[in-house]
Amino acid sequence: MPQLVVIVSALVVAAASAVGAAASSAAPDILVSRQLAESAHLHVGDTVTLALDADGKGRRPFRVVGVYEPTPDPMRFTARRIEARMHLPDLLGITSARPDADSIDEVDAINVRLASPADARAFGAAVMTRTPGIVAQPTARARDGSDPFAVLERFHFAIAIVTVLGSTAFLLALMVMRAEERRETVGIVRLIGISQRSILLEVLAEGLLIAAAGALFGVLFARATEGLINRFFQWRYDTALVFVRVTAGIALQSVALAVPLGIVAGLVGSWTLLRRDVVALIRR
Amino acid sequence: MMPATNPPPAIVDGRDLTRVFPMTAGAVTALNHASIRIEPGEYVAITGPSGCGKSTLLHLLGCVDRPSSGSLTFEGRNVARLSEADRSRIRLTRIGFVFQRFFLLPMLTAWENVELPQAEAGMARRERRDRTRALLEYVGLAERIDHRPSQLSGGEMQRVAIARALANRPALLLADEPTGELDDDTGEQIADLFDRVHADGTAIVVVTHNAFVSARAARRLAMRSGRIVEE
Repeated sequence: MPQLVVIVSALVVAAASAVGAAASSAAPDILVSRQLAESAHLHVGDTVTLALDADGKGRRPFRVVGVYEPTPDPMRFTARRIEARMHLPDLLGITSARPDADSIDEVDAINVRLASPADARAFGAAVMTRTPGIVAQPTARARDGSDPFAVLERFHFAIAIVTVLGSTAFLLALMVMRAEERRETVGIVRLIGISQRSILLEVLAEGLLIAAAGALFGVLFARATEGLINRFFQWRYDTALVFVRVTAGIALQSVALAVPLGIVAGLVGSWTLLRRDVVALIRR
Repeated sequence: MMPATNPPPAIVDGRDLTRVFPMTAGAVTALNHASIRIEPGEYVAITGPSGCGKSTLLHLLGCVDRPSSGSLTFEGRNVARLSEADRSRIRLTRIGFVFQRFFLLPMLTAWENVELPQAEAGMARRERRDRTRALLEYVGLAERIDHRPSQLSGGEMQRVAIARALANRPALLLADEPTGELDDDTGEQIADLFDRVHADGTAIVVVTHNAFVSARAARRLAMRSGRIVEE
């Protein structure tokens, strides 16, 4: 399978020897992860030797032809990505020279990128059929509930519901207090004959405007801060993983929730005044 | 033999009006079997000690409140049977209110305060503009149209309140202690303005402690303990 690029697990590369001083034109090519290049001070064109054991038995030289940023993996975002990519025959060459069957260094996972990702499930099934004991499964998230991130998502959803409920209660209390501050004003306009319908329409328009402006501000604030949050955690865990992303769908969902809630809170607040007697509103 | 002509209907006709406010410490009877009839173009002053029911009576006459018992009609309509929306419409188009504390909307200019009831009544923009200008000139505030209440003196605020009260050409102007927060000279000016409003054909009912304001009314009622005791 020459078209495949293989990722060797961190354990293999942890056994890499020091950088070779002389370049070997016969050495096969490898790519090293940015993290490995930084930690071992590797550059494109350097020659390295890789072996399964720390004592260097069965080592082979490789030429660094590139440095890559590892594909972010949320399952391992705290792990240092000390990795290298090599052609499958070279990997087999190293692992077949393994001197000690009980060695703790072993290849425990291989990621395979298919030309057609849609074939992942069929490919996995074929591999498992031909090589019993090997588990081959797509990296795409499973829909059968076995996805560990589904639990995280449900947790986030629960937090979101609690947050929305709490915010709504806070907003209602705030609007009732704000309405009470406008008690005399509402009393005056009702006294001079402005109808309840007109007052409610005014409140509706005001609530719509404030809620829309608030929702817009919230979305813009989230968009502005997502970069900061991502940069902080990417720096903290040395990964290209994206931690926060405010998509158009999330923004629309937020606006769709915030605007009606804002309007309803405004109406409820005003209704506490509109149902009272005019005399009670203007009395000191 | 001359055909019988019906007298013009009273603006407000209240008979045997009682208003009881339920309180936790016991019900309070603010108005006790009071009767009053206000004819078009009348100028009536109501006097009496604090707490005698003057303001409660004024609120009933202005369709702000409803009596606990007794009958009250406004231009022939039974107020007790009117919905809040109907009473609101009457207050908007047939009654003007002037209060001791002015009750102007603080966020609006003098012009906007006067224009607001006209807009609510559905008056056309041009007519509103002409009427607002005319009213502010009428009360002597043509130069202060863009000022907010906080930028006006007490007398000026009361003038704006009078202009607002007249915005929709009401049949009845109700004033509750209109000079209560003004000095004597300014109070005299406001009383002069009432005289002018009355002379222009609007009926006025003014509740006041001020002798020189009540002296200008053609008819004076005295109240005590929720009753009209003297006329």
